[in-house]
Amino acid sequence: MAKSVVDLEMEKALDLAQKALDDNLHLLEVIEKGFGEGIKRVGDLWDEGEFFLPELMRGAQIMQAAVDLLQPHLEAQQSVRETRGKVLMATIEGDIHSIGKTIVSTMLRANGFEVVDLGADVKVETIISEAKKHQVNVIGISALLTTTMIGQKKVIDALEKHGIRNNFKVMLGGAPVTQSWVDECKADGYAENAVSAVKLTKKLCS
Amino acid sequence: MDVLLDHLNKKGVLLFDGSMGTQLMLRGLNQGEIPDIWNIKKPNVVQEIFKNYFAAGSDLVQTATFRANPIALKSKNYENLIEKINKSSASLLKGICPEGKLIVGDIGPSGIFFPPVGEANFDELVSSFKQQAKVLAPYIDAFHLETFSDIQEMKAAIEGVKKITNKPIIASMTYNKKSRGFFTIMGDTLKNNITELTEAKISVIGANCTLGSTDFIELFKDMRTINDTLPMSVKPNAGQPILQNGKLVYKQSPEEFSKDMNAILNLNNGLLIIGGCCGTSPDHIKLLRQIINQRISG
Repeated sequence: MAKSVVDLEMEKALDLAQKALDDNLHLLEVIEKGFGEGIKRVGDLWDEGEFFLPELMRGAQIMQAAVDLLQPHLEAQQSVRETRGKVLMATIEGDIHSIGKTIVSTMLRANGFEVVDLGADVKVETIISEAKKHQVNVIGISALLTTTMIGQKKVIDALEKHGIRNNFKVMLGGAPVTQSWVDECKADGYAENAVSAVKLTKKLCS
Repeated sequence: MDVLLDHLNKKGVLLFDGSMGTQLMLRGLNQGEIPDIWNIKKPNVVQEIFKNYFAAGSDLVQTATFRANPIALKSKNYENLIEKINKSSASLLKGICPEGKLIVGDIGPSGIFFPPVGEANFDELVSSFKQQAKVLAPYIDAFHLETFSDIQEMKAAIEGVKKITNKPIIASMTYNKKSRGFFTIMGDTLKNNITELTEAKISVIGANCTLGSTDFIELFKDMRTINDTLPMSVKPNAGQPILQNGKLVYKQSPEEFSKDMNAILNLNNGLLIIGGCCGTSPDHIKLLRQIINQRISG
C-alpha cells in the first residue's frame, strides 16, 4: 500500500484499499501503517529533493482517496481515526496565491489532521472569527508576497488584542517568510514547505 | 528583425532595470494591493520609477504589468481592466523612454497550475497570455516572460505572445537551489528548461527572482554550461527581506549585490542582460552601470 502511494499509482492504491475492505483487514492499521507510511515516504522524498510539487500533490491525493474509501467503514470496525488536531488554513488578505496553502492543507489532511481551509485573500477578522468558531488548535497563514506578509503579523496582533492569543498556535508560511520574521511577529513557527508544515503542525499539536 | 539582439550584439552586455514592487512599497503601496493597479491609480508614481531606472543607466526597462494577465486579474475581479492597465503602463514607459533605449513588456505567471497541483489547461493559459500580449505589443520592443516555475506554463505564454507578434522574447524561469542542483518548484530542471526554451525559438534564456545574487553566481554558471547558443538574462533578488521598524526591507546593499553580479560578468562569455528583481533599486542599477562601463573602458 505504501508503495502504491510512493509510486503515485492511484488505481493500484484504490484496488488495495478495496481489497483491504474485502479481506476485512484492520482498517485503521491499513490507513496508518499502510498508506500512511507511503505519504510519509513521499514527504521524505520531497525533503531529499527527489520529489517536487506535482509528485507531492499526487501522493497526497492518492492518500486522501484511499482514506475516503476506507473512512466510512472504520465505524463498522468500532475504530475511529483520531484527528491529530484541527488546523485553520488561509492565505492572507490581498494575496491571491492559494497554491502553497492548498498543498499544505492537502498534506495535512493526508496526515490525519482536520483542516478548515478558508481559501485565499482572507481578511484578518474572518481568520479570527473562523478560528474561534471551529475551535482550531493551529492557525496557518500563508503569504507569498512581500507586500502581503505584513498581514500575518496583523492576525497575531488581532489575536492579542482580543485576548485570545494563547488559545491558538500560529504558524506562518510562504516564500518570503523567515525565522526572523516569525520572531518579529511572535508566531509559533514557520514552515518552508508542505512537508515541514506537517512536521511543525505535529509538534504544535503535541 | 530582432531589435533586442541588435542591441546585444552592439553592446555585449545590456543593463535591465530593478524591482518595481519594492519601489512601489516604498511609495505607499498597501498590503494586498495589486501593484499593476498603480498604472492607472497613480501613473505619475509608476512613471517616476521608470524614469529613475533609465536615469540610473538601464538599457531596458519593463512595464509594471507582472500580474496584468486576465487570469491573474480575475482573481481580484479586475479582469475588465486588462486593456487599461497594460495600455497605461506601456504608454507611461514609452512617454519617457530615452532614444536608443528599449521598452520591455512584462508578463508574469497566471497564478494557476496544471493538474495534479491545480486545474489549469493549456489553451486557457495561451488565450490569457495572448490577450495581454495583444495590448502590450504595439508599444514595446521585446517581452519579458518572468518568474515562471512551470515550463509548460512558460510554453503557453510563449505561444500566446507568438500568436500576436514576432517581437523578441526573454524567457525567465525561477529556480530553487536543492542539493542536486537547481530546480523549479515543479521539478523542472535547468537542462530540460533550456532545451524546451531553445526549441521554442525565444531570443534570450533567463532566470529571475526567488534566489539572491550569491546563489545566482552558481545558477548562472550551470545555465551557461548547458546553454551555449542563446543570449542569457539574470535578475536576482537583493537577498531575502527582513522586517525593520514595521517595514519590510532588503538588507543587501548595492555594493554586495554588484560584487556578485561582477562575479557573474567574470563567468560570462556570451551576450548577457543583467538586472535585479525583488529588493533591488535604482541605486543597485546605478552601481551595475558603473561596473559595466568600467569593464568596457578597462
